[in-house]
Amino acid sequence: MRKMIALVGATVLALSGCSVKDDAPDGGGGARQITFLTFETPNLTPQYWDAAIKRVTDQHPDIAVKRIVSPTQDRTAYAKQLLQSGQFPDVLIAVSPAGFAEAGELYAWSDKELENFLFPGNGAVNGKIYQLPANTQTIPVTYYNKDLFASAGIGAPPTTYQELLDAAAKLKAKNITPLVTGGVHDSVGPLVAGIWATDVYAKNPEWMKQRRAGTVKFCDPDPRKALGKVADLAAKGYVDRTSVARDYAAAQQAFLDGKGAMYAMGNWLAGALDGADKPKFAVGQFTWPGDADNRTVPAFTGGGLLVSAKSKNIEAARKFALAFQLDKTNLDNSAVADGLFPAIKGYAPPAGVGPAYRAGYDLYAKALAAKTVVPAFNFEAGGDAPLPGVGAKIDASVVDLITGKKTMEQVCAFLDSEWAKG
Amino acid sequence: MAVDRAPRRVGARVGHFAGFAGPGLTVYAGFVLVPILISAGYSLTNYNPFNPPTRYVGLANYRLLFTDEAFLTSLRVTTILTVIVVVTPNVAGLAIAVLLDRRGWLYNALRSVFFVPMVLSSVVVSIVWTRLLDNEGPINQALRAVGVDRPPGWLSDPDYALYSLGAILSWQLLGFCVVVYLAGLQGIPVELLEAAEMDGAGPGRRFWHVSWPLLAPALTINTVVLMISAFKVFDHVQVITRGGPGEGTTATIAFVVLRTAFEENRGGIASAQAVVMLTIIAAASAVALKLLRRREVEL
Amino acid sequence: MKTRGPGRPLLAIFVAAIFFLPLYVALANVFKRGDLITKEPAALPIPPTLDNIVAVLTRPDRLYWVSLTNSVVVTGLSIVLLTVLSAMLGHYLARSRSRWVQAVTLLLLCGLMIPPQAILMPVVRVMEATGVMTTLQGLILFNVGYYIPFGVFVFTGFIRSVPVELEESAALDGANRFQIFWRIVFPLLRPATASVLIFLGVWIWNDFLNPLVILGPGQGTTVTTGIYRSIGQYQADFGSVFALMFLATLPVLVFFLALQKQFVKGLTGGASKG
Repeated sequence: MRKMIALVGATVLALSGCSVKDDAPDGGGGARQITFLTFETPNLTPQYWDAAIKRVTDQHPDIAVKRIVSPTQDRTAYAKQLLQSGQFPDVLIAVSPAGFAEAGELYAWSDKELENFLFPGNGAVNGKIYQLPANTQTIPVTYYNKDLFASAGIGAPPTTYQELLDAAAKLKAKNITPLVTGGVHDSVGPLVAGIWATDVYAKNPEWMKQRRAGTVKFCDPDPRKALGKVADLAAKGYVDRTSVARDYAAAQQAFLDGKGAMYAMGNWLAGALDGADKPKFAVGQFTWPGDADNRTVPAFTGGGLLVSAKSKNIEAARKFALAFQLDKTNLDNSAVADGLFPAIKGYAPPAGVGPAYRAGYDLYAKALAAKTVVPAFNFEAGGDAPLPGVGAKIDASVVDLITGKKTMEQVCAFLDSEWAKG
Repeated sequence: MAVDRAPRRVGARVGHFAGFAGPGLTVYAGFVLVPILISAGYSLTNYNPFNPPTRYVGLANYRLLFTDEAFLTSLRVTTILTVIVVVTPNVAGLAIAVLLDRRGWLYNALRSVFFVPMVLSSVVVSIVWTRLLDNEGPINQALRAVGVDRPPGWLSDPDYALYSLGAILSWQLLGFCVVVYLAGLQGIPVELLEAAEMDGAGPGRRFWHVSWPLLAPALTINTVVLMISAFKVFDHVQVITRGGPGEGTTATIAFVVLRTAFEENRGGIASAQAVVMLTIIAAASAVALKLLRRREVEL
Repeated sequence: MKTRGPGRPLLAIFVAAIFFLPLYVALANVFKRGDLITKEPAALPIPPTLDNIVAVLTRPDRLYWVSLTNSVVVTGLSIVLLTVLSAMLGHYLARSRSRWVQAVTLLLLCGLMIPPQAILMPVVRVMEATGVMTTLQGLILFNVGYYIPFGVFVFTGFIRSVPVELEESAALDGANRFQIFWRIVFPLLRPATASVLIFLGVWIWNDFLNPLVILGPGQGTTVTTGIYRSIGQYQADFGSVFALMFLATLPVLVFFLALQKQFVKGLTGGASKG
């Protein structure tokens, strides 16, 4: 028995010497290695990321990139966990700098580095930019299934909130789920952003900044009414209560499978609508309507890369991040695959974008001209966003509103008290 | 018998300790005891890696916990879950053990069937059950097939989610209780049962008066193990519901501790929660153990 | 013993079948074509396919093989170290007449009920300070520290049943403590060693949270953490998820089925002794 243990022990000890790591490009030959935190979605496949990274490292062979993947879509939570366990990545993408920036974990981009961006001041925290304001996303665009609309006898997409409620009633009468959603931030957040945009931001685009200053509250009449609309939609059955169990991909799949008529989603859905697995039915787009009209378009410019201030290879990390962000092919691919509108000077979307992309772009351009673009609630970044902990509480509270567990009064009071905790 | 070797004895004792107990205790101290002390230490500060500097705040964190809705909810959630998990597999496990209390390859095989979930990782169990309890999953499909119009959202309805979680945990822990009760049953001297039968006692009375008292040690083990397992529940929550649906519906204490520490970055408060959690587990286990042991002795 | 009617076996099989249904569904979906999984989750996999398994085994990033190796290394080293250290510590506690034995035993018993989540954050700090964060060694050391109370618990009980006279006569023959322990006592502890190896092997193999946090993303995963990571990616591809789970569980399942008797013995040693 003892001999066997000794033998096993020796073998295992020998094996542990060659402990296996992920396949990583060899950091030998003077290449500086940096880690890059990414997340995967139906649009953003492993192949997409690997190809985008390769394009940059081909031009900069002195940089070796180790791509790490967030286990769930919540890459912000994962980044926090990595920070706590001392494994903060060198480069991140699409993570709000809130919290990280104040703690001194992020590198502040210089004006020179930001000269190519259309909105170099977006998402600033205490006046400094930590996340490259790389692309604009309209959140939400309300996509709708034209076939289902037709079968319910709805002629044109709604232009006021009352028309939306009427359309939903007609759909429900035909046993069609009016609004598709899920339970996670990226699924239900856009719906809330749409309502918030028409009911709060349209009247007061500075609301979030004022909330940070403490001069407004969630329980003020307008925000409360917005929360009430969410609860009301669920109470009327226009949003299916059970859909909160869905994760992001399941919710998207439900819409693409024709299980619901309307889907309030960020314009990145265009990537799926124009892609290889496009749905069999025709898809239209409209702007989420307010009580009076539908001109308000919520948008967010940001979404770019961030660099860790404490990176061991910070030069390489910065060089990689900028190159990754500005590479024309990467930008083109991000437009096609993920429906992004790059906010880079002199950039125009490539010819290869599909009809869904173009329709969304037109909606945005119209609003830009009419100056009716407002922030996208709970999708902002940096100092424009809710306090770091509160964002997640908003998502959970919205789910509570939909399931009916909490009323709008309880939710607004809860959010105000969470905000006060700081 | 031992020759008096006083001066060498001390050295030998130290050597004995260092050689045999030293390595194990060092690792234990370094990776369990020291972290507990560190946790206790953090709990007295406002430690937050996003908001240095760290200050001593005394018992402020603990006072905060008394009014912290999230923490109190987690206590309620954990208590409900513990009750479900301590009772259900215990009772069902006993029933199934009685059913399987026979010799033969069939019963041995069936016993293994019940025990397999214990060998599976919590992640696997969670993923399988999430698929099964999905609103469009096989269970609801079956319910619809037999005419149930609107089957419940097992995991999406906040009224059901916690109980669904309890059911999943019970399913996984059932095998443990079955095996322990079976061993207990098979340790009962046959003569006692035969004597009772000859006295005219039916199977029910035989069980209640002969078997059940002798199963006391098995009951103790099952109850204590189930209780401790229930307090620790985290993996299933993280994978199945992530504390939801909504705010705090299935957030157990362990889940809240980790979320506060790693996602909300409030290290001081998380440590206070952890200390409270440890105290509750220790106290509850001690009480349960004492009560059950006393019962064993009396019986 | 009693009536040998068909009632009992039939009832037993029926109950077991119902209990086993979830596992049947999981197993069936491993061999089912991807698109049929959501449509007919409970149906038999006809036609059966090995595509899902092949897809997992041939992934370009070798996820399964990498994490399998890591799991084997971590689990193997952990249980070997645990057996050795807890046997020796248990022997010390069972034999030593020092005053501190009671205190140390109590201290170790406390460790049995500590949930790993309660100490994870400070453990991370300790590991950073000692430089073993994100390494396999760090994870192994944590496993050893955390599970030693269990090992000690099992071994101490058994060692008490080994007559002290054996050791004393060996001492008279001139053997030193280590020789006495390894040559005479340890071979008699086979059932305890089996229990420790089996239970800790299964628990460490199935551990999900500790590798996730301690090893982190850069070090490759263990097989259980790998499953958790993959559910995010494979949203629409449940075939791969089930296949990965199946392949990840197979080693432990085989281990269990081969050593069933020892599992049961290890558990029930306490049930009758109390």
